[in-house]
Amino acid sequence: MKYRPERLEVAVGDTVTWTNRDVVPHTVTAQAAGIESGNIAPGASWSTTLRSRAEIDYLCRYHPTMKAVIVVR
Amino acid sequence: MKALAAVLALSLPFAALAQAPTDPQIAGIVVTANQIDVDAGKLAKAKSKNKEVQKFAQQMITDHSAVNKQAAALAKKLGVKPEESDTSRSLKQGARENMAKLKKLKGAAFDKAYIDHEVAYHQAVLDAIDKVLVPNAQNAELKGLIVKVRPAIAAHLEHARHLQETVAKK
Repeated sequence: MKYRPERLEVAVGDTVTWTNRDVVPHTVTAQAAGIESGNIAPGASWSTTLRSRAEIDYLCRYHPTMKAVIVVR
Repeated sequence: MKALAAVLALSLPFAALAQAPTDPQIAGIVVTANQIDVDAGKLAKAKSKNKEVQKFAQQMITDHSAVNKQAAALAKKLGVKPEESDTSRSLKQGARENMAKLKKLKGAAFDKAYIDHEVAYHQAVLDAIDKVLVPNAQNAELKGLIVKVRPAIAAHLEHARHLQETVAKK
């Protein structure tokens, strides 16, 4: 169970989409950055637009060993 | 030592298969194995006072319910009707015994028994996936679903092992 890629670099204003290819639900959660996807069911997707420069560490609320980072430049 | 004995006892139903299971039997084993862990999770969520154990139990309910939903959808799509087998029956028997045992326990003793069993159970399921279910599944999509489920089971096992260390300290 992991995010792929585990590190992603994007530009300010980019929209990032996560697609759940697993058989169990996941979330994209970064409390500090105010990001909370809510439940992403298997096969479903969720997107967010990143509007400021930041290094965002996020995890899955259900499976906290799943961690990744997005660098917004 | 106790945990090891539990693993052996649990792997027995899978290992004792006289014949290779058919796809309907494999579907039946998948559905049964998931439902058993959902039921145990519901009991643990209601009985445990330990936040970490409750979180784990909720994860088991969420994940194994999700897998079963997809297994049911796939079985319907393929026209495969899940069938009982000696394996699914012995899984159910083992689950009844485990639930009866857990219902008598409380507090830290409950947490330890629940988590020990979850470690043994997920290890047994992982072995069954590798040695019985994947090698014998004939339909590519059924096999594909089981392969896709494996990382979740491995993650559950890792999580349960981690909890085993924490509850042992209490």
